[in-house]
Amino acid sequence: MQNLLAPGHRACAGCSMPTVIRLVLDAAGTNTIVVSPTSCLEVTTTPFPESAWVVPWIHSLFENASAVASGVEVMMKRQCKDTNVLVIGGDGSTFDIGMGSNSGMFERGHKVAYICYDNEAYMNTGVQRSGSTPFCAHTTTTPAGELSLGNPRPKKDMPAIALAHGVPYVATASVAYPVDLRKKVERALQTQGPSYIQVNAPCITGWTFDAGTTIEIARLAVETGLWPLFEYVNGELTEVKKIRRIKLVDEYLKVQGRYKHLYKMPGGAEILRSIQDIADKNIAMYKLVD
Amino acid sequence: MATQLVAGNMAVIIGALYAGCDCFFGYPITPASEILHEASRYFPKLSRKFVQAESEEAAINMAYGAASAGHRVLAASSGPGMSLKQEGITYLAGSEIPCVIVDIQRAGPGLGNIGPEQSDYNQACKGGGHGSYKNIVLAPNSVQEMCDFAMEAFKLAFKYRNPAIILADGVLGHMVEPLRFPQKAVVPEIDISWAVNGNAATKGNVLTSIFLNFDELERHNLKLQEKYLKIGDNETAFEEYKVDDADVVLVAYGISSRIAKTAVDIARSRGIKTGLYRPITIYPFPDKRLSELAGRGCRFISVEMSNGQMRDDIRLATGCAIVELVCRYGGNLMQIDQIMQKIRELT
Repeated sequence: MQNLLAPGHRACAGCSMPTVIRLVLDAAGTNTIVVSPTSCLEVTTTPFPESAWVVPWIHSLFENASAVASGVEVMMKRQCKDTNVLVIGGDGSTFDIGMGSNSGMFERGHKVAYICYDNEAYMNTGVQRSGSTPFCAHTTTTPAGELSLGNPRPKKDMPAIALAHGVPYVATASVAYPVDLRKKVERALQTQGPSYIQVNAPCITGWTFDAGTTIEIARLAVETGLWPLFEYVNGELTEVKKIRRIKLVDEYLKVQGRYKHLYKMPGGAEILRSIQDIADKNIAMYKLVD
Repeated sequence: MATQLVAGNMAVIIGALYAGCDCFFGYPITPASEILHEASRYFPKLSRKFVQAESEEAAINMAYGAASAGHRVLAASSGPGMSLKQEGITYLAGSEIPCVIVDIQRAGPGLGNIGPEQSDYNQACKGGGHGSYKNIVLAPNSVQEMCDFAMEAFKLAFKYRNPAIILADGVLGHMVEPLRFPQKAVVPEIDISWAVNGNAATKGNVLTSIFLNFDELERHNLKLQEKYLKIGDNETAFEEYKVDDADVVLVAYGISSRIAKTAVDIARSRGIKTGLYRPITIYPFPDKRLSELAGRGCRFISVEMSNGQMRDDIRLATGCAIVELVCRYGGNLMQIDQIMQKIRELT
């Protein structure tokens, strides 16, 4: 495996994000330009004058990576170059502040692969909720307490939003399934037009779990049905990763600090059942179990 | 009266709550995020509204919506986020809607970093967005003032139906000092007969910044300028320290004024008659006293963490073409030695 994200970056020990990026870049190769909005990725890999990026990399503001990528893609085409253009951003920029420019890029049909490493909150600024934060997770702006059991809203369905734009390649992936992730990046880059891959990327500080268990946590998200791995090509569901032995969401939730209030507070048990319902719906919808 | 050790970003929330602020709309950004965290913790407990927006633009426009109904709205951000909010702020000013916005300044331009700077001075004091408008801008220099000025900002914003900005910085937001809590909460006795509430009583009210007729828009602008003059006449505030016999006057606001004050004492201990003039309102800029000091032959040094953005106002106030500048950029605070060196050069 070629290592296009050099060691020495400043991500937390146990962070899943650098592994995601290495896998993505390995699949994309050196003929690649990466655009990144503000995120943990940007802050930890490019403290000036250092850079961990072996491929050309450009930073934009928080809300406009897709616009910058659109500009890059248009002029690479104009120069008759067949260069991979990737956006790699977190969920804050993807789901929230960058939604307008994502929508524009999807709708105009630029040949850009958008990779969202989804750690389900604004981790870089101190774990505030984002549109991607799952139901009843504790964050610094949805603190669990007398009046709250954490984030009151379900996670925004970003793949469905991409699909609604007619994005020809939409997939979910996980850092715990590297072969699947690589394959999906390759397919995204072969797509004529925009593509969107949402990668589950556990965050040790925001989710609070033992730094040695990152991959296990990511695998549990998939095995419980909370993070189904699927692929849509031209709007058709073409592939689903089957789960051999389905697990209860409890196994995934109880090892994370962001859910610990659900095991202590009144009303928590009911919420745990609701989260199991979310998983059960996914299991039925994507036929995750044979 | 309770005294407690708190951080500046928390003190803002305390001041706002005591000022009867009933809603907060925010978005994460370092080094202002703690304001958002504290709002999310305390606003719901006190039956106030907290909403985390999906973007800075959304947050300021939520503020626009709630403030239009006469609510006491707080918003907070930092450099890049303030830039994004400018469209909303010019609309607030143009429609004469009161709102309090906290800017915990960080180093720029562009993404810069999350260290302190005072380089949003022009953006806050000179308008920032499009059109001929002004914000009321207060510059605290302590945790106590982060709280007190939050209360004052609400008072002024509603008195003049104008956006008011609390211009602090990353140091003030994060440093911890004893805070004497306000003696009592303000029960807002404010005239909000201008507000729109979607009912028969407010049916005749119009809040708008669109005037397609050129003359009407000109009249609207003239009315705004008149208001700004009135604010300038009535609301300037400053603090001075040992300026009465000073040959050299340091002019500094916010956190820089704390450093400059130490420099004044050191210079005086070495026999150099030095004083500090600290603008508290930086719009309206307290120019009259500065003009007097200039008439007396004082020399001025602007001590600020920007490229002399306040120095331009000092030049205008004093008529002095040469106003010295001591500055640092990039998240660095100025050093006492740096100020001392400039004082020695002048004397």
